[in-house]
Amino acid sequence: MTRLVQIEHALAAVSSGTTSLGIKASNGIVIATEKKSSSILVDDSMIEKVSIICPNIGIVYSGMGPDFRVLVAKARKSAQAYWKIYGEYPPTRVLTQEIATVMQEATQSGGVRPFGVSLLVAGYDTNRGPTLYQVDPSGSFWAWKASAIGKNMTNAKTFLEKRYNDDISLEDAIHTALLTLKEGFEGQMTEKTIEIGVVTVPAAAELVPEVGGRIKPSFRKLTEEEVRDYLAL
Amino acid sequence: MSPSAQAPIRHDFNPYTENGGTILAIAGADFAVIAGDTRQSEGYNIQTRYAPKVFRLTDKAVLAVNGFAADGNMFVKKVKQRLEWYRHAHAKDMPLHAIARLIQTMLYAKRFFPYYVYNILGGIEEDGTGAVYSFDPVGSYEREACRAAGAAQSLVQPFLDNQIYFKNQQAAPGSPHPAHLPLNQVLALVTDSFTSATERHIEVGDGLEIYIVLAKGRNSNELESLKGVAEVTTASEAIATGERLFVLRRELKKD
Amino acid sequence: MSIMSYNGGSVVAMVGKNCVAIASDLRLGSQALTVATDFQKIFPVTDRIFLGLPGLATDVLTLKERFRFRVNMYTIKEEREIEPETFAHLVSSTLYERRFGPYFVEPVIAGLGKDNKPFIAATDLIGCLTLPKDFAVSGTASDKMFGVAEGLWEPDLEPEDLFETISQTLMNAVDRDAYSGWGAIVHVITPDKVITRTLKSRMD
Repeated sequence: MTRLVQIEHALAAVSSGTTSLGIKASNGIVIATEKKSSSILVDDSMIEKVSIICPNIGIVYSGMGPDFRVLVAKARKSAQAYWKIYGEYPPTRVLTQEIATVMQEATQSGGVRPFGVSLLVAGYDTNRGPTLYQVDPSGSFWAWKASAIGKNMTNAKTFLEKRYNDDISLEDAIHTALLTLKEGFEGQMTEKTIEIGVVTVPAAAELVPEVGGRIKPSFRKLTEEEVRDYLAL
Repeated sequence: MSPSAQAPIRHDFNPYTENGGTILAIAGADFAVIAGDTRQSEGYNIQTRYAPKVFRLTDKAVLAVNGFAADGNMFVKKVKQRLEWYRHAHAKDMPLHAIARLIQTMLYAKRFFPYYVYNILGGIEEDGTGAVYSFDPVGSYEREACRAAGAAQSLVQPFLDNQIYFKNQQAAPGSPHPAHLPLNQVLALVTDSFTSATERHIEVGDGLEIYIVLAKGRNSNELESLKGVAEVTTASEAIATGERLFVLRRELKKD
Repeated sequence: MSIMSYNGGSVVAMVGKNCVAIASDLRLGSQALTVATDFQKIFPVTDRIFLGLPGLATDVLTLKERFRFRVNMYTIKEEREIEPETFAHLVSSTLYERRFGPYFVEPVIAGLGKDNKPFIAATDLIGCLTLPKDFAVSGTASDKMFGVAEGLWEPDLEPEDLFETISQTLMNAVDRDAYSGWGAIVHVITPDKVITRTLKSRMD
């Protein structure tokens, strides 16, 4: 039963981590997190909590930063391996499953502990369109319309349940995301303490590769300027 | 080891090379068409974009040569010389079937140091029919209705099998396949064959020279309406009485 | 003697209007000796994709199983059918995996993609992809097929005309190739059905 206890510890690490959330809109997805540093002396421009995995997928986490870094590296490598075989980047579900498998193996292998993170994976693919997944330290994963993880997840989820509807636009979803994070946010919400990533559903014309064989990325991180503008509204 | 003890280095001399290009001839009922591209190459180098491979022998005989250009040119020169001797001895042009047999003899004479050349002879037979004779480098030959040779033989010959001999095509009941095609269709097939070969074979291209031999008395209206046709009949009185010879030049892609 | 032409065989694929066709001969030889005249070298990948594998027969059989395995795994994992473009990349990467000890086949792929978009592709034996707009040829009669196809093919052929064009291309080419022939098979893939016909041809 030791292993189950280890997962309990991992979940505890997630629950004490900073809040992150994701909302699926009719024309895209937003994932957001608060970025809190332990000291004002830390250069917070170095901290990255929303990570691009491949041009169509991004993830955010709550829990242990170093564990997340390892998973990001593995996920990126997996996406590139998929690209090498199929000439295209993986669908969100396949990439999520790949990460979940890595996390599950850490619950069963000798000499390792489970990853102390929960993830929100947001991506776009032609098969399923925009999708949002949550992955837990146990390796289990689900698709969400909206979810929150971390310290404030219970309150945030209750908040999202009240605010969410199926035909919310991406713009509205971004504002809802910020509003949700504001609940129980300690300190000032600024472009330095918030990170946002968005998935936009590409128009049919954007799916055709341009010269050079690349297609326009459908996941991107908002710049500090863009975050500031959203906060100002 | 002293330099003098080194093993001697052997330098082989290869007297042959391949100069690319493709030739093609088709016989009609009362005409013959003999064509060749004008590119001459060695390996990936184009030596010239205009080196004729098709030659007028008489007003009723045209010879196309393909393979090793030096041998080809020398061979044509010798055939022409033999035909001139024949004219001096007999006061007439050698008949086509006799030229074919002469070419066999001349090629086989060099059975053990052959002219590295594939020959196609086209023209008008004594009975007024169009004829094509094709040869291998040592003189084995046969009379046919059509033949392609050279670098793009493998591309062109199966196309001709289909379009000239109607291979793999079933004739509609009551209307059997024709034994000979009309001149305009033959010319269309020749140009199509060469544009196709130019598209897919690097040694084919630059220019196309099509010789057309018309049987005695055959009208030449359809040729005269074509652009780029020149009459090259030599015997001046032949215009009314003998076979007539025309050449049609076309550009091919140069890449 | 090249390993590529040890068993002989040829495949051709062509694009039509909202349809594609793929055809092959049926000969299996051991150099000049004909061993079988019912040797299939075209295999269905999905309902809308076919794969032609001319080359060394042992590798043809091995690879068709490898691709069956890989496509089945893909279908289960991704819960969807593979697209022709994706499958072409899978073929390419599977062959390049053996860059320094290759399978001796030169595959041809034909299929209909999303919105019934015609797709054809061919690779060399180490997986270098080519994506022609008109036709793809491969096998011991490839140069002959290039010649005939270049003369016969035209854009936007309807299924029946495409069938005639690809059949004539294949048959007249293999009749000039000692290593190919002895009957042929043609598949025409249209949005609502696949038309498969076996052809009789010269048996020499």
